[in-house]
Amino acid sequence: MEAKHATGPMSRQGSDSQGWKFSDLIADPQIRERWDRVRKYFYLRESTYDMTRRCNIRCEGCYYYEGEKQHTPEIADPDRWRALMLAEKARGITFVVLAGAEPSLVPELLSVCHEQMPLGAIATNGLEWIPRQVGYKIHISVWGNDATSQKFRGAREMLPRQIENYRNDPRAVFVYTFTAGNIDEAEEVTRVLAVAGCKITFNVFSAPVGYDGKLRHTPQSLARTRGTMLALLQQYPQTVLFSHYNAMAHTHPLGLHDLFGCAYPRRNPSADPGLGRSFRQYRTDLTWDREAACCVPDTDCPDCRHYASGSAVVTSRLFRHACRPDVFESWLDYVDTYLAVWVSGYEKGNNLCQRLVPPPGHDLL
Amino acid sequence: MAVETELDKIILHVAKIMIDELKLEDVTAETFDPDIDLVDEVGIDSMDLATVALVLRDEYKVRIDEDDYPKLTTIRLISEYLQRKLAVV
Repeated sequence: MEAKHATGPMSRQGSDSQGWKFSDLIADPQIRERWDRVRKYFYLRESTYDMTRRCNIRCEGCYYYEGEKQHTPEIADPDRWRALMLAEKARGITFVVLAGAEPSLVPELLSVCHEQMPLGAIATNGLEWIPRQVGYKIHISVWGNDATSQKFRGAREMLPRQIENYRNDPRAVFVYTFTAGNIDEAEEVTRVLAVAGCKITFNVFSAPVGYDGKLRHTPQSLARTRGTMLALLQQYPQTVLFSHYNAMAHTHPLGLHDLFGCAYPRRNPSADPGLGRSFRQYRTDLTWDREAACCVPDTDCPDCRHYASGSAVVTSRLFRHACRPDVFESWLDYVDTYLAVWVSGYEKGNNLCQRLVPPPGHDLL
Repeated sequence: MAVETELDKIILHVAKIMIDELKLEDVTAETFDPDIDLVDEVGIDSMDLATVALVLRDEYKVRIDEDDYPKLTTIRLISEYLQRKLAVV
């Protein structure tokens, strides 16, 4: 993979770039095309919002109900939400993530948000259909096969009901959360979704603070998860939105914070440009707290391998990934995956790097 | 007639790179205010700053630390940073 870059001009720089000029890294037409495509989205600035305290199911290890947010008062007035979205737009937010507890239960608020802020994503269990005029990406959570879902989520026949709601819906991406106990079920779920023409991406269970249940990963389960992710990526390339670098980043024995340095305010005190300055996580009463602000605020940070977290933490680390062709290609694959999963209308390209590359400054395992 | 200093030259060059890389309109290297806040007043974000930092790393052949570039939020700050780096090469 590196050979095609080795003929370009090089000049020694700092050790951080390992001798590669950025202009060399993007000299290959295929790389240049991908770079130009993804950088158009650098303007995205996200914040997240809990829409309601209600949910129609109860899942073990749920971020929302494991934490304190469930006790926050709920504001259901559409005018208050409209005003919030306008204020958010005014301070530069361009992308909203609507979550907790179950946003599909407040469709009128989703519409209000979409009217003011056209780009965003909704995290839902998929049991209630969200009206089509809400043109956000819709992330449908899957925790295993139907038997496992019933055990840990208390809902029967989840996958058929989710597919029934979102078959042929370009908004929908099914998000399979690998726990320590459902790794072997991922193939079955992916196969069903492939037959139904749906898209899937992968998440890794990241324990909420204080959680000590069976879902928590071990080094062994992370290694098995990585192998399964890569096998499914190879077996179902039209269905799986993922890359080798995604698999590496989210199954490494070190969590995302230790690998990349979390950029969210909860772990990042810096007010320099970036997430530390602009990101907020609003609760259902439309307040926010910098000390708790991250995409999944009740996660145990050292265990965080959450796909939403990585989508900001890894993508924001452009500078450190512009060091070597394979590392930069891997980062581009990750950003390409992020955009395909999160941004309406963005189509995933072919992955540029088809092998595991360690994150800058770390080993592969 | 004012004498153009080394810093002035760097400022002009950084402004040109900024305009080219970020496709800024209605401004030239000569009219770009070196003290304007690129983030709060021009609307450049952290990814743009990273991109510009990579191009500057190429152009000036200096090491730019990842922790440094987010603080370089005006063209003058960037240029002074580069001048310091060039002085120790």
